[in-house]
Amino acid sequence: PTGLYAVPRSMHVSLSISSSCSFSGAGQDVGRSCILVSIGGKNIMLDCGMHMGYNDDRRFPDFSYITQQGRLTEFLDCVIISHFHLDHCGALPYMSEMVGYDGPIYMTHPTKAICPILLEDFRKITVDKKGETNFFTSQMIKDCMKKVIPLNLHQTVQVDDELEIKAYYAGHVLGAAMVQIKVGSESVVYTGDYNMTPDRHLGAAWIDKCRPDILISESTYATTIRDSKRCRERDFLKKVHETVERGGKVLIPVFALGRAQELCILLETFWERMNMKAPIYFSTGLTEKANHYYKLFITWTNQKIRKTFVQRNMFEFKHIKAFDRSYIDNPGPMVVFATPGMLHAGLSLQIFRKWAGNEKNMIIMPGYCVQGTIGHKILNGQKKLELENRQTVIPEYEPGWSLEVKLQVEYMSFSAHADAKGIMQLIRMAEPRNMLLVHGEAKKMEFLKDKIEQEFSINCFMPANGETSTVATNPSVPVDISLNLLKREMALGGPLPDPKKPRTIWRASLRLVSPEQALKELGLSEHQLRFTCRVQLQDAHSDSDTHIRIYTHLKSVLKGYTIQHLPDGTVMVESIVIKVSSSPEEPNTKVLLLSWSYQDEDLGSFLSTLLKKGLPAALSSM
Amino acid sequence: HCVLWTKEERYSNIHEYQLEHPTRVIEWTGEKNVCVAGYNLSKNEILELLLPLKLFADDNQGLCAERDFKVVHGGFTDGSIHCLKHIPGTRCVVTNDGSSSKLQVWDVGGDDCDVIKKTGDIHLKTASLDKGVKIDSPLTGNASVLHGSQVNDIQLTELTSGTPLYTLGTDIPDVLSSLRFVSGSVFLACSVNGDVYVGDTRSPSYLQKSPAGGREGNHWCMGVRADSSLPEPSSCSVARLSSSCQAVVSDLRNLKSPVCQAQLNVQRKTTSDEFLIVTWAPALDNCLAVSGFDGMVQIYNTASWRPELMEFQPIFIHRGHMMSDAHFDTSSSVVTTHVWHPSRPWTVLSAAGDGSVHVWDWVDNTTASC
Repeated sequence: PTGLYAVPRSMHVSLSISSSCSFSGAGQDVGRSCILVSIGGKNIMLDCGMHMGYNDDRRFPDFSYITQQGRLTEFLDCVIISHFHLDHCGALPYMSEMVGYDGPIYMTHPTKAICPILLEDFRKITVDKKGETNFFTSQMIKDCMKKVIPLNLHQTVQVDDELEIKAYYAGHVLGAAMVQIKVGSESVVYTGDYNMTPDRHLGAAWIDKCRPDILISESTYATTIRDSKRCRERDFLKKVHETVERGGKVLIPVFALGRAQELCILLETFWERMNMKAPIYFSTGLTEKANHYYKLFITWTNQKIRKTFVQRNMFEFKHIKAFDRSYIDNPGPMVVFATPGMLHAGLSLQIFRKWAGNEKNMIIMPGYCVQGTIGHKILNGQKKLELENRQTVIPEYEPGWSLEVKLQVEYMSFSAHADAKGIMQLIRMAEPRNMLLVHGEAKKMEFLKDKIEQEFSINCFMPANGETSTVATNPSVPVDISLNLLKREMALGGPLPDPKKPRTIWRASLRLVSPEQALKELGLSEHQLRFTCRVQLQDAHSDSDTHIRIYTHLKSVLKGYTIQHLPDGTVMVESIVIKVSSSPEEPNTKVLLLSWSYQDEDLGSFLSTLLKKGLPAALSSM
Repeated sequence: HCVLWTKEERYSNIHEYQLEHPTRVIEWTGEKNVCVAGYNLSKNEILELLLPLKLFADDNQGLCAERDFKVVHGGFTDGSIHCLKHIPGTRCVVTNDGSSSKLQVWDVGGDDCDVIKKTGDIHLKTASLDKGVKIDSPLTGNASVLHGSQVNDIQLTELTSGTPLYTLGTDIPDVLSSLRFVSGSVFLACSVNGDVYVGDTRSPSYLQKSPAGGREGNHWCMGVRADSSLPEPSSCSVARLSSSCQAVVSDLRNLKSPVCQAQLNVQRKTTSDEFLIVTWAPALDNCLAVSGFDGMVQIYNTASWRPELMEFQPIFIHRGHMMSDAHFDTSSSVVTTHVWHPSRPWTVLSAAGDGSVHVWDWVDNTTASC
């Protein structure tokens, strides 16, 4: 169609403000996700994570890359948060309230509900327990969340006239999403953290064949092959069983949602099969919160959970009961799920204090713990814990409190990320034109890059932290075009265009103007081009008769055009001049001389083709 | 849904992985690293995997959450891989596709790059062109590889130059099933009809033959327990396994008279003999593992075996490859290979035709311990 031009363009994906590095603390890779994408003139920030391994400003993303060019609000069209893990959202209140950003922040409903809880916990640990000052406040978290616009799955959201986003299910944790960002015909999909195999309470990530120009995927776990769910669960059950059999107590600190339900279902099944008698408890704060969130987010869990909870009301397990603080001192074996997950305050810490001194007991940590928490310390093998005088936030702790850790400490990671196979599966699903892997070490991913490039025949980029990747794309560029110009865009020798037929005008930010307008705006002078063409006809009429016949013929064919028969015999159609001449040697051969200017090229060529066919025999004289 | 749990604790550790494509080779390239490779007819991958760190954490196991395999190096091959051998003291492995007489030499790679690259081919003059080549490598001396598809084409070739260092001078056309060094220069070759040959790379004319004495028409393979770092063979146990599930144990010093034998308690699920394998536990006494009949790995204690043929029960069966929480039916999946860890006494790795690879530490619950 006329008026559309394909222009090679490029998209920029910048990791300038992102980073990842490996810390040996608690054996887990720690990093921070914060990616800047420039697409179709729009700038989008993907995730805004905190680096949990640093205690100084290095934990925040470095926004100076952007702020050098102006304010964040002006520069960014939107911010998108993939899920509630702190290495993806931990720096959000810092960015929006301390650096300053007032634009829209998008995340799914569960993420919006859970984020502030984790951020507040994190703030408490950092400020109250570690005494830091350059950190965001509770009010800042609240103010930040006011800027959040929640997303539903598979629903296209118009951020502005040109930018639209859509969330897809990512698995991994409750509310985690992969996001498609689209500007015109260019699109990017960012995966955040995702998982391609379903677990007990979450489904697997899913996306349609949306064929994005770039698929951006986390690759921290790209080179792993995951141990089976069956073996992980076996290990968990074995540890719990061993402890209970020897009369010990098992403490499992959990965050309210997701993983806790999964472990409960597992234990309930096991207790039933093995005819176990020891009690299992769930702290009441947990059940209330969990029930509340369950009702809100049932669509985010998987089919099995939904079925289970339709049959029985959520925490009505046969073997799992509500916990009361008075049970802490009960003799004999038991298993208790309690919050918070990192042992930094509250019930789980209180229980830990009571049970830590007995080597028959066990604590199972099902996730990563932030530096500064007791959870982090015991996962690093610390056997003696001391509470410094400054830390008076938790009233039940006396200054000079110290504790010997004799119970068995078990670190079990249940959180699932996509491994090499998962990445290949996702590429197969989405069919991107280019692949971009972030947060891996390039020299450890050459093989994966080769694999992707060979299997899918697409380019695979692996920018290092601080680098910008530029990916060439081939978008269609819609432009505004004036009616007159469209009229003149006709193929040579083609059918007569109807001057009255309306043309479609596209909305676009580029202007396609007439040459006169362009010349005027650019201050260039116009040059005239005229074409001439000779058409030979076999015609016995006189020259003047031929003129008349031409005039009559054209008038009947070219309806709507200005046709003149000048006194000297010349026929003029618009600015095209037609003159007839003949030589005395060949009186029956007429030579028509056509001349037109460049602007009437199309009509001129039409006329020459038409007249080459000859004039109709019978014509009524005017 | 099958849980790996019984009242009696059978495994002290177990990890189960699913490769994208099945492997029929598992070869140690380090204390914590193995190489695996695919056997599709066309393109395949070779992978060097790092075993889960949790397995090696021992006393600190509780604090280590790391349960996954890491792909530390990977490469692509144009053909199938039936045989893969690590050259000791190097980062090289040598492979053969099971149907040609060409050996491929690969550099597994170091810290600076994770791509396994082919460094060359060794074209062999073998009598049979479609039998596939068996490979072994001596622990001492320059990097070299012992190879052969039949008894009469066994040769030791220097790796870098491709120069033949030793050729067995014989015209015996028997097809080989196993080739193993038992010292720096003495090696054993087992033919598919069960005969074991002893050769010495220092003397090309030396060859000693010991028949298995088993039933006709069986396919035999061999497992050797020896310290091949020694210049001369010390005590060396040789086990031969037949396709009719008979195992014969001999001592190197007197191969002609078996020490003991047994009829193994196996119900064959497959008619193919290509995955039959028998191995000795390197760090346990009298412990034999067999696989390739079905989806199980069976472990036997040969201490109670007798010179006359009798039936014996295994002391441990790994059934993991027959159960799966993946979506395909693995009841017909056959174990393609298994290996013991060189120093951890009870650690075994096994792979099956469905792409599964398991790492397991089994617990010996019998009174007569290995």
